[in-house]
Amino acid sequence: MSRMKDTGRTMGQGWRKGPRATRRLVTDRLATALSLGATALLVIALASILWTLLRNGIAGLSIAALIHPMGPPGTNGGLANAIVGSVIQTVVALLIATPIGLGCGVFLSEFGRGSRFATSVRFVSDVLLSAPSILIGLFVYLVLVAPFGHFSGLAGSVALAILAVPIIVRTTEDMLRLVPVAMREAGAALGAAHWRVVLFLCLRSAAPGVLTGILLALARVSGETAPLLFTSLGNQNWSFSLDRPMASLPIAIYQYAGASYDDWVRLAWTGALLVTLGVLGINIIVRFGFRKKQS
Amino acid sequence: MKRAPAPRTTPAPLQEARATPLWKGDRLFRLVVGFCALLVLVSLGGLVLTMAFGGSKAFATFGPEFVVSNIWNPVTNQYGALAPVFGTLGSTLIAILIGVPLAFGAAFWLTNIAPPVIAGIVGTAVQLLAAVPSIIFGMWGFFIVVPFMAQHVQPFFRHHFGHVPVIRWLVHGAPFGYGLLTGGIVLAVMITPFVTAVMRDVFAVMPPMLKESAYGLGATRWEVMRRVIVPWSRAGMIGGVVLGMGRALGETMAVTFVIGNANTIGWSLFAPRNTVASLVALEFPESAAGSLKLSSLLALGFILMLLSFTTLAFARWLLREKKA
Amino acid sequence: MSEALHESPDQKADPESRDAALEVRDLDFYYGEKQALKSISMDFRKQSVTAMIGPSGCGKSTLLRIFNRMYDLYPGQKATGSVMFDGANILDPALDLNTLRSRIGMVFQKPTPFPMSIYDNIAFGVRLHEKLSRHEMDARVEDVLTRVALWKEVRDRLREPASGMSGGQQQRLCIARSIATRPEVLLLDEPTSALDPISTARIEELLDELKRDFTIAIVTHNMQQAARCADQVAFFYLGTLIEMDSADRMFTNPRQKQTQDYITGRFG
Repeated sequence: MSRMKDTGRTMGQGWRKGPRATRRLVTDRLATALSLGATALLVIALASILWTLLRNGIAGLSIAALIHPMGPPGTNGGLANAIVGSVIQTVVALLIATPIGLGCGVFLSEFGRGSRFATSVRFVSDVLLSAPSILIGLFVYLVLVAPFGHFSGLAGSVALAILAVPIIVRTTEDMLRLVPVAMREAGAALGAAHWRVVLFLCLRSAAPGVLTGILLALARVSGETAPLLFTSLGNQNWSFSLDRPMASLPIAIYQYAGASYDDWVRLAWTGALLVTLGVLGINIIVRFGFRKKQS
Repeated sequence: MKRAPAPRTTPAPLQEARATPLWKGDRLFRLVVGFCALLVLVSLGGLVLTMAFGGSKAFATFGPEFVVSNIWNPVTNQYGALAPVFGTLGSTLIAILIGVPLAFGAAFWLTNIAPPVIAGIVGTAVQLLAAVPSIIFGMWGFFIVVPFMAQHVQPFFRHHFGHVPVIRWLVHGAPFGYGLLTGGIVLAVMITPFVTAVMRDVFAVMPPMLKESAYGLGATRWEVMRRVIVPWSRAGMIGGVVLGMGRALGETMAVTFVIGNANTIGWSLFAPRNTVASLVALEFPESAAGSLKLSSLLALGFILMLLSFTTLAFARWLLREKKA
Repeated sequence: MSEALHESPDQKADPESRDAALEVRDLDFYYGEKQALKSISMDFRKQSVTAMIGPSGCGKSTLLRIFNRMYDLYPGQKATGSVMFDGANILDPALDLNTLRSRIGMVFQKPTPFPMSIYDNIAFGVRLHEKLSRHEMDARVEDVLTRVALWKEVRDRLREPASGMSGGQQQRLCIARSIATRPEVLLLDEPTSALDPISTARIEELLDELKRDFTIAIVTHNMQQAARCADQVAFFYLGTLIEMDSADRMFTNPRQKQTQDYITGRFG
């Protein structure tokens, strides 16, 4: 009944917009436009990277590139030894880093309350997480290369491991903290020793998260170049011995990208594409594979 | 890494780690994991000590002069840290100046403005790209940004600003495309996805009711952002920026390709410079064991470690203040 | 059913519904596909307290959030029908939301102090809409804090962060913050659900004071609260307005069986 009246009624004075309201609206629009611009700029830059990578990388992608070892320019060389070398070094690095990272993460979550030692370990782990990776390479050179007089794949793996450990430490500690107290108490109530509770109950229930950390560490480490420069050095030939200089994809990219031979540059792009696909692939698995399971 | 580096909250103590004498296994367990923790401590300690010891020869030879000298001359065997440190700080500063506003804008857009579907796609893409290895950014810089700077940006600035006082000093230099600005831009592109992802996460954990309260008073989206969300998430934002800064400071591969590798100092943004990390990467393989040059490089490494450490400690300090 | 509602004796008592601050007509609301409110029609009278009660999920909070278009923040939520306020339809997409929200204030379930000082919390909303001198702003802050009976408690620590106040104080601060922008309508979404009984009592007293100047719409799950402070009560069930009447009649002699069941505690 009153609806009829409503339509005839004029809008009240309170709706009148003052200059202040207009100014605020303009500011808001401007901020919105700028933020859209920022996003667009970011997306364009990243799209440019991916596009360059795909276009140049696919151009050089061939069976030969995947099965031939590196070779002098013009000899139809490939990246096979670098790929294998990368896989070996990353796997060894993870084999070293995982137990240490898990142990340290367990220590911090189980025994690391309030003690000054634990606080410093936590801080140091964070420092390592953001430490310049080339310095880690230098350090490992001084400790594992210089005394033995030669570069080695093992040294490269150790350098990568030092990068991986803090990532694993952090996720392990965070994930263990999320384990409900009830689970620990249930375990303890059954008379299980603390170490059994932690290893077989807490770590198991935190396993997806911990695994995420390990995979992220793998992704991070597998694209690293700087720590390998002075440790595993790179190698033009096949090398499977951890005791010798070993090829790796990032080093191969580094060597080839700046070269003045077309086929080397092409291989550098192919290598870059492979590394990126690997790293992004792991990240995608982590983000989507695990999220679904958790929810 | 997915989490915003907000101050670590410590949940209530679970069981006190009673080293119950009942179980011998617990002792051993504690010892083993404690040893792992010790290893982490030792590796950083070793890192810092080897740099310090290795660099001591350079510090001893040149004294404080090492830090303030911009000479880097292998022929006369004279080394100073100023030029690469200048390049490191300069390129990082440029990266932050470009990257942080971009990241902030993008995070604002993604969390408050974009339709959820688009925000989800773009946000995930940005997060994924934060994981792309730095050498890829270096290659992209080398093959795309450097020619672009040489052919478009530098001629443009030379033409329009080449005679403007002050700015003239910033833009002069041969249009090779390499230089401090190029390095800064590539670093900015490298760290922006990371900083964006952190800021987005920080903004996203803002309690919706608090946001609604601000909207409920008639605030615009921008006003809510500036007056409520930003103050509320300041700690996490600073954390993200500092972590991004740390990455830029210590980055090797993204910079080496594009900075031009000249140990010089000056106002020009377009002139080739050098950073600590790229100088080490380039010259270390050519330095003989025990040489003064090697020692100088290690001393540089020590300085870089200090810079990186200081940024992190600074961030911690800022976050602590907020907590109190 | 809504038609029957308008024919209620209450409405007939003042056929000139010009004293209604908000006139809701045929309002439907959807969360995506799901309809949360079905053809609601009701009036909110000026200078009185209207309480909305009903079991959780009945749509009472949803209705409240329509009045300041809070649902606009969330894509996929949609309202049809009309809500007339000062001659304009609140649902009109062209309406200036910032003005609307400055004229219709809202207080939430939990206290939501902004991360700033007590003073700035109140000045926040005022500064958005008005340019006041320092002196005027001080006066405004004192005025609203006095009205929510907080002035004496906090006059010496206006520059301290609002997060340091107790929960009850924080909620009164939020009310002060809302009335500082001089709205005409005040929406309260279970404002005492997170508070202790003493703080709750103070807020209820406050409502009695405030209704002299504001139209108040309050969502509550607490029937005693509705009985104590409301002039009109509306009962919602499953997205429908079952019954609306004066508080007295509603609690002594409800017309609908569902209402009776709810207020006597048989479900909900």
